[in-house]
Amino acid sequence: MSVLASEWLKIRSVRSSHLTVSISLGGILLGLGLAWMAVDMYDHATPAQKPGARLAELEEVVLMVPQLCMGVLGVLATTSEYATGFIRTSLTAVPKRWPVMAGKSVVVGVIALFTGSAVIFATYFVCRALIADRFGGLYQIPFTDKLPLLTALALTVPVFALLGVGLGSILRTASGSIVVLVGAVYVVPIIVGNLPQPWSDLLGSVMIGALPHEITRDTTTNTVYGSLLPPVAAAAVLVTYALLPLLAGTWLLCRRDV
Amino acid sequence: MPQPNGVIDLQHLTKRYGRTLAVDDLSFTVLPGHVTGFLGPNGAGKSTTMRLVLGLDAPSSGAALVNGKRYASLPRPMHEVGALLDAGAMHGGRSAFNHLLCLARTNGIGPGRVSEMLERVGLAGVAQKHVGGFSLGMKQRLGIAAALLGDPGVLMFDEPVNGLDPDGVRWIRDLMRSLAAEGRTILLSSHLMSEMALTADHIVIVGRGKLIAEETVQELTTRYPSLEDAYLALTAGSLEYGASGS
Ligand SMILES: Nc1ncnc2c1ncn2[C@@H]1O[C@H](COP(=O)(O)OP(=O)(O)O)[C@@H](O)[C@H]1O
Ligand SMILES: [Mg+2]
Repeated sequence: MSVLASEWLKIRSVRSSHLTVSISLGGILLGLGLAWMAVDMYDHATPAQKPGARLAELEEVVLMVPQLCMGVLGVLATTSEYATGFIRTSLTAVPKRWPVMAGKSVVVGVIALFTGSAVIFATYFVCRALIADRFGGLYQIPFTDKLPLLTALALTVPVFALLGVGLGSILRTASGSIVVLVGAVYVVPIIVGNLPQPWSDLLGSVMIGALPHEITRDTTTNTVYGSLLPPVAAAAVLVTYALLPLLAGTWLLCRRDV
Repeated sequence: MPQPNGVIDLQHLTKRYGRTLAVDDLSFTVLPGHVTGFLGPNGAGKSTTMRLVLGLDAPSSGAALVNGKRYASLPRPMHEVGALLDAGAMHGGRSAFNHLLCLARTNGIGPGRVSEMLERVGLAGVAQKHVGGFSLGMKQRLGIAAALLGDPGVLMFDEPVNGLDPDGVRWIRDLMRSLAAEGRTILLSSHLMSEMALTADHIVIVGRGKLIAEETVQELTTRYPSLEDAYLALTAGSLEYGASGS
């Protein structure tokens, strides 16, 4: 309990945390801007063009912002302690070590959960209000039908944050961990998408971006990823993304000299 | 058997980093009530020994015990041991107050005690300032405040006067002596005998990871013309790292 209070104070007493949360919330403004542009474009299209006009779900587009920012928050929560040498003082205060990782994970995970949910749901409602019945009724699907998917999308944000904590603890440098994290969001999915079949669909089904759709068996949106996993398996993969690096990082923290 | 209180006990402590033998079969005991100087040329293994005592590094063999127990097994270690290893080891963007409170919270220590310690080391006026802007002397004081948070009976300071101005050196020296006078155990490392002469009562000299001498200042001064001579004579064979300690 006391370690949790300490980790909460550690996070909230440095500027980078406020910055990553603020930029994440800026994702809502990005969604607003994109929705406004889309509306403008749609309203200026000819009647013949309108039925064919397509738009990607904007909350899924802006999701990358909180994913990356909260991932960075997680990375910095661990690596800043190594960079400053503060880790030695921290571990002197808590020589069992694992509670430090547990405390960080809870704090970072909760912040990311709130931030991610705020971005996803706010963006969704902004888009729903602005876009209304445009783009073939994309935002006319009842909210209750969208709720499972939106929830699953929001959950990927704490997954990224915990992935960041885990990577930070394994690699112990911010730059290395952020490179791996960005690779996981941008680079790997592109490579996987360009692999020959069946690899593209097989590996595409375990990309983080594919999992919310698989978990909720969502049919309201098109996904660029594979969708081969049943819900339970997809949920297990999502949890694994968060927990495996975290457990590896904790194991290493408990064994390594600092 | 009563718990040994305020005792640091090294038993054949050994630490290897790859091919470097940083601490080599080191055994000695530090007792309460006086300042024990931990002296040796740069690279002698002083910092490593302190990290081993704090459980930050795992010994290759042997053991380091505090009050008869391994440090890592202490439930609230800040109440038993305080340490200052590296004054710069803090997040520059955090205020002095929050820096201390982050540590205090883990051991169930409240903000009142944090303020009290900031007062004690003369940093109360800059409690809300970011530590990134602190001078080395201020960081040393903050590090000492951190070590004192839990009112521990055992204190370890690794070269605390390095880089300090004369006022800072005097302040630390007086603090060490007053802490020892309160009955605490103080282990104070330095590579300068001149520093020890003014502060320590007992002296442990190490070179290349090995114990060279463990004596009182009085014993050394009777055997050698001066403490400086004692140090040079005793460590003559241990200066293979090219560090003369000056
Ligand atoms: N983490 C480490 N990895 C490798 N070698 C180390 C490490 N820490 C210390 N050493 C080596 O161990 C020896 C003792 O170092 P140290 O304990 O820092 O000495 P001192 O504090 O007495 O100057 C030195 O040769 C140093 O290079
Ligand atoms: Mg040293």
